[in-house]
Order: sequence, then C-alpha cells, then structure tokens
Amino acid sequence: MTSSTTTQSVLDQPPLVQGGLDFAGVTQTVIGVVESKETPKIWFALFGVSVILLLMLLGMIGHLIWTGVGVWGNNVPVAWGWPIVNFVFWVGIGHAGTLISAILFLFRQGWRTGINRFAEAMTIFAVICAGLFPGIHIGRVWLAYWLFPIPNQMEMWPQFRSPLLWDVFAVSTYFTVSAMFWYLGLVPDIATIRDRATTPIRKLIYGLLALGWRGSARQWHRYERAYLILAALSTPLVLSVHSVVSFDFAVSQIPGWHTTIFPPYFVAGAIFSGFAMVVTLAVPARALFNMKNLITDRHLESMNKVILATGMMVGYAYSIEFFIAWYSGNALERFTFINRAFGWYAWAYWIMVSCNVLAPQVFWFKKMRTSVPVMMVVAILVNVGMWFERFVIVITSLSRDYLPSSWGYFSPTGVDIAMFVGSFGLFFTLFLLFLRFLPMVAVAEVKNVMDQAHPSHH
Amino acid sequence: MAHALTADELRQQTTLGEDASSWSNRLLGIGLLLLLGSAAYAFAGPEGSWRQFQFSYHIAFCFFLSMTLGALWFVTIHHLVGAKWSTTVRRVAELTMGSFPLLLVLFLPTLFSVLKGDDGLFLWVSHEKMESSHLLHGKIAFLNPTFFIVRVAIYFAVWIGFARFFASNSRAQDLNGDVMLTAKMRKLAPLAIILFALTTTFAAFDFLMALEPEWFSTIFGVYFFAGCALSFFCSTIVITMLAQEKGRLQGIVTAEHYHDLGKWTFAFVFFWGYIAFSQFMLIWYANLPEETFWFRDRFEGSWISIAVFILLGHLLIPFGGLVSRHVKRNRAALAFWAVTLLLMHWVDLYWIAMPVLHEKGVEFHMFDVSLLLGIGGVFAGLWLKRAQGGLLAPVKDPYFEASLRFKNM
Repeated sequence: MTSSTTTQSVLDQPPLVQGGLDFAGVTQTVIGVVESKETPKIWFALFGVSVILLLMLLGMIGHLIWTGVGVWGNNVPVAWGWPIVNFVFWVGIGHAGTLISAILFLFRQGWRTGINRFAEAMTIFAVICAGLFPGIHIGRVWLAYWLFPIPNQMEMWPQFRSPLLWDVFAVSTYFTVSAMFWYLGLVPDIATIRDRATTPIRKLIYGLLALGWRGSARQWHRYERAYLILAALSTPLVLSVHSVVSFDFAVSQIPGWHTTIFPPYFVAGAIFSGFAMVVTLAVPARALFNMKNLITDRHLESMNKVILATGMMVGYAYSIEFFIAWYSGNALERFTFINRAFGWYAWAYWIMVSCNVLAPQVFWFKKMRTSVPVMMVVAILVNVGMWFERFVIVITSLSRDYLPSSWGYFSPTGVDIAMFVGSFGLFFTLFLLFLRFLPMVAVAEVKNVMDQAHPSHH
Repeated sequence: MAHALTADELRQQTTLGEDASSWSNRLLGIGLLLLLGSAAYAFAGPEGSWRQFQFSYHIAFCFFLSMTLGALWFVTIHHLVGAKWSTTVRRVAELTMGSFPLLLVLFLPTLFSVLKGDDGLFLWVSHEKMESSHLLHGKIAFLNPTFFIVRVAIYFAVWIGFARFFASNSRAQDLNGDVMLTAKMRKLAPLAIILFALTTTFAAFDFLMALEPEWFSTIFGVYFFAGCALSFFCSTIVITMLAQEKGRLQGIVTAEHYHDLGKWTFAFVFFWGYIAFSQFMLIWYANLPEETFWFRDRFEGSWISIAVFILLGHLLIPFGGLVSRHVKRNRAALAFWAVTLLLMHWVDLYWIAMPVLHEKGVEFHMFDVSLLLGIGGVFAGLWLKRAQGGLLAPVKDPYFEASLRFKNM
C-alpha cells in the first residue's frame, strides 16, 4: 500500500533493534559481554573508585555508630538534615525501573524492553542506598529491628500512626517486589548464559541461578502469567512508595510540608529523577559495551520525552503550591514560600527551579532530545536539581519554623558530605558488578518486539 | 469480528440513520422543557427556590463539563503519545468535546448572576462578606467578578479552540485521508495538554473549590481531573454501546476496545481513590482548623452517609467489580459499571457543592433531577446533531486499520 509507506515515513518510529541484528545477534551482543574474558580497563578504573568510596561510606557509618548522630549537621531546628534528603533522593531514583517494567508494560510500550533490565537493577541498588540512611538515622542502630512489628514479651510495638513506620513497610515491600520482578525477568537470560557456558564454574553458578529453566512452552506460559501479575502488583507500588515518603512531610503542620498535592507531586518527581538517572547511566554504558543497536537513539529520545513530561508535572506542582500558599491567606504559608524563593536559601531554590523546570525545556526540540551531549548535561542537571528539591523542602521549612527565636541556618559537616558521596560508591559498586556479570539488556524480551517475532505483520 | 468490513459496511456502520434526527429533536425538546420548567418554578416557587436552582444547575453543569473536559484530554493524549488502539473510539470523544460552546451558553446564567452581584452561589461575589473576614479579604485580588469573567473567558477560549482544532482536522481526514493532518495534530498536542492542565486546574478552583472561599487544597485540580477522565470513559462506553444497539459501530468497536476502555475506567477509579485519599488523609491527620472545616461540613448530619456511600460506590465496590478481565470484556457488566460510576461521579460533585447550601444534612430537591436531565437532554440532543453531520469513526485515520486489528494479550 502506498499510504502505509507515507504513514511510516511521517509518523512511525524507527525499529527498536538496529544494525540488522537477528535473534542470534541480539543474544551475542548482550551475553557476549558477560562471557567475554576481557574487561574494559575503564571498568576497572570506575570499579576501583567506587569501592574506595564504598569503603569511605562504611568507615563513616562506623564513625557515626561509634560517636553518635552528632557527627552530622543535624541540630535543632533542622533535626532532619542530609540523611533524610539523601533518603528521599535515592528512593526517588529507584522509581524508574518499576515504572518502565510495570506501567510501560501495561501501556504496551515496546521500547521499554531495551532499557528495563538495567533500569530495574538501578532501582534495586538505589533503594538499597535509600534504605541505608533512615536505618542509620535512628540513633541506636542496633535496635533497628524494633521498626518491625515483631511480637515480644514486653508488648512493645512500633508507632503505627507514624508515616515513618509506613515508610518501613512501603519501602521494604517495594524492594521485595522489584527484586522479584527483576529476577523473574532474568531467569530466561541466565539460562541462556548457562546453556552457552564453556567453563564448569560458570555452568554451575548460572545453572543454579537459572532455577531449572528449560524454555518449554508451559514454562513460558507461566512466566508470562507471572510477569503480568507482578506488573499489576508493581503498578500501585510505583505510586505508593513515594506517596508514603511524601506523607512523612505532608501529615505534619509545618508550612511548606503540609500540602495535599504532595503525594502525586512526589511520584512525578521520583519518575523524573529516576529517568534522568537511567539516561545518565545508559549513555556511557551503551558506549562502553557496544549496546547502541539495542539501546538506540529512539530509546533515549523516548526517555527524554518522559523527562520533559514529568519535569512539567513537577513545575506544575511548584506553581500550584506557590499559588495556593498565597490563596490560602495563611500568613505562615505565604512566608514559607517567599522565604524559599527570596530568603537565605534562595540559592538552593533557584538551583532547583533551573535544573528541574528550565533545563528540560530544551527537550522540546528533537535535535536536543537526540543529542547525546545535551541529554547527558540535562540528565545530570536534573539529578542535581532533584537532590536540591529535597534539600529545599527539608531544610528551608525546618530552619524557619513558628518561633523566630529558634530559627537557624543549617550547615552540613564533612561526615554528611562524605556519606552522601560514599552512597554513590555503594550504588556504583553494585551497578558495575551487575553490568559485568549479568545480562544488562533483557534478551528474551527484546526479541519479542523485533519484527521477526511477528511474521504475520509482513 | 469474523471478516474485514467492506467499504459499504463501513459506511453503514459509521453513518447515523434517519431516526437519529427525530431522537435528537426529542431529546432537545425534553431537555429544554425541563430547563424552562425548572427555571419558571425557580422564579415562581417558594422562598429559596432560586438558590436551590443555582446549586442544582451548577452541579449538573459541572457534571457535563467534566465529561467534556475528559474527552478533550483523551483526544489530546491520543495524539501526544501517538496511540493506535484508541483510533476507532476517538470520534466519539471528538463529538463529546464539541459540547464546549453549549457549555459556555449554559454557563451564561451563572455568569450573569455573578455580574448582577447575586451571591447565592458564590459567596465571594458579595464584597461585604469578603471585607468582613480577614482571610477572605486577602483573596479579593483573585475572587472578584471582573477577574472571574476574564478567567472563564480564557478557559472556554482554550477549550473551544483546541476542541475545534482536533475535531475539524480529524473530520477533514475522513475525506482525504491525509497523513499530514495526523502529524499536524501531534505537533500541537503538547501545547494543548499544558493549557488543558492549567485551565482545568483553575476551573476546578473557580467552579468548585471557591464555593467555600476560605478553603484551599493544592490537589483539588487533580481531584477534579480524575473525575473528568473517569466520567469521560464511562460516558464513551455508554455511547458506543447505545450506538451498537442501533446497529452502528459494529465490528469497529470490539471487545478489545471495551477491554481497554474498561482498564482505563478501572485505572481512574483507582486514581480518583488515590487522590481523594491523599486529600482527605493529609487534612484529617494534620487537623488544621482552616482546612478540616471543609470535611467537617461534609460529614455533618446525613452528609456522612453520602460520604460513606461515595467511599463504597465510587471506590471500593467498583474497584473490586472492575478488576477482572471478564467483566471488562462483558458488555452487560461493563455497561453496569459505566452507568454506576457516572451516577457516582454526580454524587461526588453533589457532595462537594451541595453542603454549602444545605449545611445540616442532605435535602434532595426536584431540581437535582430535573436540571441534570434537562442539561443532559440538550447535551445529548446536540451531540446527536453533530454526529449526523459526519462519520462515527475516523475511517481514514492512518491507524484505523491497526486499531481494528489490535488485540489485548
């Protein structure tokens, strides 16, 4: 048909797998990385730096436990300092993976297959980094298990009315389901590594991890079923986790924290920051391991569109908050927002607005959306901006509470900074190990969206 | 669908018959009669009838406005994301969003009463009352008749403008099948969605939140939007099923499309619940008097039973009812939920607005029904008139075939 050729040229997107790869080519591209004896030198360099930072983090945690939380800058009135900022920052990043795997799956977005695997891995590692901060924030770390409602002879229970406790449940549920989802997707690909293994050690390890996968029709049938159910379970979790995190702030009466739009606004921000992190990692990873045929420019462009869309949602929330602060007629609300934009922390507020609202605007142009240097700059700016968003929320509201006599200016200590930097060490150590030893692209799923898998459509 | 539709069948399935025009006249006649009868009673009836009329009318107006806004959102998002499955039902949405000019006309009485200084519906119209409270005094810059009219003019300009843009290009495509028209609509969709978000939010503030001028909630625009989308999907399910009863759209809107429409309905039942819960829980938990009074008033007397009814009928029961794929693919079951949720959406709007008038408890009035049916009759009558002027599906859309073929896994 002539009309279909014009349709394709004007409206349709390029195929999701480039470079003329067939099924075997896709397998080789991804599994070849795991099987290769040669690790790129830059991988070793990055891994070395990450492990050093991780060791620094561990040292700082030891220092903190030995000395006490006084080593942080937290103090009255800003009793929630960087640890909570970092917690919310990392949880937010941990939202992209599940959104890509679950919600984009339900939306039948074929392009998610190229990036879902390592977005999910990133999610899990980010949630680990996130869980660390409240864990060490509780003061007596050795009693952290009190957070769980374990029956005990003293009849002591956690405070069920506190959103901080809901966080424990929300984040641990999210972590469990994300990890299951990720592992379920990995099983067929791990079985492929097992089947291609040339050394007994590799055969043994990947064989154990493959859980006896044989790729029979019945197994695939059950796999697809489980995948759909996990996607449906994960979808509300994408909303619930960051909504509960937002409750930590919004149930309070502190101006700037107590506002009803917080739950959806936090979720949009989380997806925004998560996608920015996926782009930040995908661009170098695909170059390093030659994945450009699987993680194509189209994938990156689609992610940039999501960044633009969620950035606009975050901008919407900033604006509505500002408007309602005025409209409410509440003097304290009005003061808080004027103080954010023009007070002592105005620099942080404007970094937030520039990075989160202004920077993504360049993605209106296709040239910018598809330019690798531009998207790297924007993605990193968004990461910075989203950290500052949490900084603005936590610090500005606390540092200017109801009593001017207790007002203060928050300054982080060296330990604060070292721990935040160290959390990147933890994150990248795990992520680099994943890139090297597990298939970073979902081989079986990518094959499913290739034209060859749908011969009837030709 | 067992076989592909021939050109003749396609034409027959997408063109309304002769009886449509008599139906449309009947609906218009009944609607106008109800509206005029109610208006006459409002002026001639006992003390307080006019205020009751204003509230019942405003709720009915908001009900049909929300559905129409949902249609505009759906068409915009269809082009924004380059959706394919929704192509066969998109025309129904385009016909629904053609109602904006009617809604503007229907809003004129309210606008006129604001201009006249009638503070029966919107308390803020009274300058004295605004001056008497310190909290309200600070809002005069926003809540005043002049700025209100400017805002309403902007809302309708945006809505009518984009609705016309999408509908007319889509109809033009029926004739020539030009792919560039789709490209053109996609190009404008991002701007449309931004302006849609802003106008819908502020319309929610103006039309519903400002009924209690002291009250504020940053999520209220999203709450109203959830109702818009939900009522749109339910109304589309009802409309397409009615068309199929009359032997139209058969083989064009299939169980696959109903399945997806059902998924969206389910999604917005959930989303509405999420937003409603967020709004309620945060206000309840923080317990600040400047916010909690809104819920206190809506739990007063018999209003609490309406609140519980909404919790059950708008969220918990339909959530359970719509989970299963069998329900979404079963015509009777899906129709049941679509009609139920449309009614629940009206109850939701009623619960938001009416406690301002009846503070002590629920007092149903004949106007609640007569004006809903009255506006509904005119709305449906003009919908049918628009539908007669063209096809019921965008048959030359580049993705029409793909949409016909599409299957849920």
